[in-house]
Amino acid sequence: MLRHNLILFLRNIKKYKSTFLINTIGLSSGLACVLLIYLWVNDELKVDKFHDKDSRLYQVMVNNEQLNEINTWNGTPANLPKALNEEVPEIEIAVGGTDPDWSMGFDLSVEDKKLKAIGKFAGNEYFKLFSYDLIDGQIDNALSENNSIVISESLAQKLFNTTEDVIGKTIDWKSLNIESPATITAIFSDPPTNSTDQFDFILPFGLYKYVYGEGWENPNSVTYVLLKEGTDLESVNAKLAGFMKTKVTDTKTSLFLAKYSDNYLFGRYENGRQSGGRIDYVRLFSIIALFILAIACINFMNLSTAKASRRIKEIGIKKAIGAAKNTLIVQYLGESVLLSFLSLFVAILIVILFLPQFNQLTGKQILLRYDTSHVMIALGIAFFTGIVSGSYPSLYLSKFKPATILKGKLNRSISEFWIRKGLVVFQFTLSVILIASVLVVYKQMQFVHNKNLGYEKDNILLFDREGKTVEGLDTFLLEVKNIPGIINASAITNDILNAPGVDFKWAGQTSENNFSRFIVHYDFIETLGVELKEGRSFSRDFSDKESQIVLNETAVDIMGFKEPIGKKAKVWGKDVQIVGVVNDFHYKSLYEKVGPMFFHLDSSYLTNIVVKIKAGKEKETIAKLEHFYSQFNPGYVLEYKFLDQSYQKLYESENKVAVLSRYFAGIAILISCLGLLGLAAFTAEKKRKEISVRKVLGQSSTQVMLLLSKEFAKLVLVAILIALPVAYVLTSNWLSSFAYKIPLHFWYFASAGLIVMLIAMLTVGIQAIQAANKNPIHALREE
Amino acid sequence: MLLQLKNVSKWVHSGGQKVFLLKDINFWVNEGDFISIMGPSGSGKSTLLNIIGMLDDFNEGEYTFLEEKVHSLKEKHRANLYKEYIGFVFQAYHLIDELTVKENLEMPLLYKKHSSSERKSLVADMLDRFNIVGKKDLFPSQLSGGQQQLVGVARALIASPKLILADEPTGNLNSKQGEEIMEIFTQLNKEGVTIIQVTHSEKNMAYGSRVINLLDGKME
Repeated sequence: MLRHNLILFLRNIKKYKSTFLINTIGLSSGLACVLLIYLWVNDELKVDKFHDKDSRLYQVMVNNEQLNEINTWNGTPANLPKALNEEVPEIEIAVGGTDPDWSMGFDLSVEDKKLKAIGKFAGNEYFKLFSYDLIDGQIDNALSENNSIVISESLAQKLFNTTEDVIGKTIDWKSLNIESPATITAIFSDPPTNSTDQFDFILPFGLYKYVYGEGWENPNSVTYVLLKEGTDLESVNAKLAGFMKTKVTDTKTSLFLAKYSDNYLFGRYENGRQSGGRIDYVRLFSIIALFILAIACINFMNLSTAKASRRIKEIGIKKAIGAAKNTLIVQYLGESVLLSFLSLFVAILIVILFLPQFNQLTGKQILLRYDTSHVMIALGIAFFTGIVSGSYPSLYLSKFKPATILKGKLNRSISEFWIRKGLVVFQFTLSVILIASVLVVYKQMQFVHNKNLGYEKDNILLFDREGKTVEGLDTFLLEVKNIPGIINASAITNDILNAPGVDFKWAGQTSENNFSRFIVHYDFIETLGVELKEGRSFSRDFSDKESQIVLNETAVDIMGFKEPIGKKAKVWGKDVQIVGVVNDFHYKSLYEKVGPMFFHLDSSYLTNIVVKIKAGKEKETIAKLEHFYSQFNPGYVLEYKFLDQSYQKLYESENKVAVLSRYFAGIAILISCLGLLGLAAFTAEKKRKEISVRKVLGQSSTQVMLLLSKEFAKLVLVAILIALPVAYVLTSNWLSSFAYKIPLHFWYFASAGLIVMLIAMLTVGIQAIQAANKNPIHALREE
Repeated sequence: MLLQLKNVSKWVHSGGQKVFLLKDINFWVNEGDFISIMGPSGSGKSTLLNIIGMLDDFNEGEYTFLEEKVHSLKEKHRANLYKEYIGFVFQAYHLIDELTVKENLEMPLLYKKHSSSERKSLVADMLDRFNIVGKKDLFPSQLSGGQQQLVGVARALIASPKLILADEPTGNLNSKQGEEIMEIFTQLNKEGVTIIQVTHSEKNMAYGSRVINLLDGKME
């Protein structure tokens, strides 16, 4: 029986090649999408989960109460770990450290070999929490001495070309104005790609405390916590909520623990509460995967039922000969499952082919490895797809009465007609929703990209202040400005897009306020191109001292000063004077409203040099700058980044989503149209006689074409009408997380509908033209 | 007695009115009979045959097949019954186009759980008996009408049914081919197979032993 059914399956494929092609192309591209999304989701879900003690591994988070809102971050004071170890019994180990991206960049040198590397600080017990394999050395006290360093396998390779006999050797490192030799105590295997922490070496946290101090007011490090087994998180969090109050009396911060591996997917906090993060995109893409699979399954159902007449004779005969209904259901389900497995095979080929591009788009390094769970899931998805897409056709086909079939009468029920139409509508509804959403996402990202931010983000270069630029910053800046093509140059502490908040006080103040502080050098405001509203910028001419600030408009509004110029305020208890006010500019991502900020002139602790280059001559100018830099600062390499790249990085996941969803929407409409193509061909075939009679009676080809297209146009129109409100709700929901966003114009949705309608009509039109131009005599002669 | 129909009626509703396809049909068939059902187009011949073959149901009356009350049987049971005892021969042959002669012949056996070797020998017997061994790997479209109907008869016989139902078996054939098929039926009947055929032709009717005449769904 099985062999027989297999033979029938294969011979039917041979006979109806186009149906088979439409089905396999549809199903396999659908499955390929689903597999790619599965791989991506699987990878996302596994990020940071590789640590052995993952289930007990937490990070201390900080909620800071502001006037209207609670801000959440992970920066904690450097003496918190010690205090937690001593005072909270539920905590097995608390370890201090820094985020790798916190550092200013390190220059390492061994003999005459020099390179930049990414490092972090971490306490001695770091490796008891995190599972990075030890390759050589002693992990137990690897970070107990302030002059020790633990390096990664690849860094060892870069510095020494080997990992053997490296323990005990010395590396000289520099960061900002700190220089020190360090002795290698251990080598660990590189952090895997699915680790959010990516670093080349670790310096002792003791050293960090020694250099940067241990004050409770300086929340620049992070604290990792390993809870004792069986600890109730709620009770620990209850203890931690008031922990800071026991250290700093007037603090507005409270602590809580967040699972370390959850930070990647659940990284966004709104008003002190967890409010999603990357998980939103994981969910979104899972839904898209389901959508696409549904569309592909619907194609299969529609084509199978529409073309049932081809198989109906076989069914009739089989029934007459004695096949039971169940036998037939199993046969047709078997066929669809088989087709689905065949498509899975093609889909896997597609995945292999596109995985490199997909990795590039998503910034991932997913490898297609043989992995039992992957294989089982792929087979499971294919089986499920086969069952779903075969369910309706097999029930439909097997329920016919043999007597009617064999008489040649096929009574097609009204419900069948509606089901098929309904499925087409559903399919196109999904397509329109996808396309409308893609359009809105694209528009918003374009808006983000082109919005006037209040400063010029283009052609601004940032690089570390190091070596001779530490001592001779002013000379350096002066000479840099003389390089042709360079418009201006200055310096700043921290990243421009990552200004930390500080406690800001003024006379008549009603509540504590956290203002973002830009610690800058002369000319910074000019270099960034921020517009001055009143007063003046920092100027050497006025012999400005380090007690002067320039506020933005929002800050002035909050302070309620009518005439702010000349007024005094306090930053961390020190007096400052307002010399100017600038227009608001977007120094954060457009998710957030522009907050109060100020520029603070302070040349003692500037970390980055900022250079503005004339547009159009970037390459030459940078070459000249590099040349000058190597002369001024021998032994250092100029490693710069562009501000607009950092700006784009704020929207990294949005940009990825925008690109990915564009592809997926394209595939969805492609699969939908494949189905439509099949149905249109079928309708044309069914209506051959009607068309011929009409033509003989004098209707033109165009009229016949319209007749055929009209039916499908109606369905697509219904789909559009259903899809647009849904798309509106979905997109406005997505946009609501942006503080600055595009208005939702009607035409975004209208054009999505139009695009889908056009593509659908093109698909149907080709079939209709073919049908309309056939010589009617041929069809009529057959009767 | 092989089967018996008592007051069997079948109707459809058309425009709010009951239209009888069959009305008060009463007859019985003994094993070894060769019955011809005659009548003009639309008189209900094929409907009657389909009801006897259990491919169609009826609205009223009783149908007994080998002591089983067909009208009150569950579908599965009914399928088992006709699978076991009835073979069909159709006017339009109704071979499966995608299967070869050999595979078409094998098909009824698949639903009766014969072993693979049994199936092979039965198919070989049939091919032999109907002289179509050389055609066993051809598809129906590669055969003439007469040859296709030979395969159709062979397929009906392969599961050794007690009853063969033939719906105008020679309707699509030329007279020589038709005669051949009727000869085969006569031969089968001699071997003990009961045959009920629907036919238009007086000549074919002559092969049978009893005639049932239908007009507008009623027996005359």
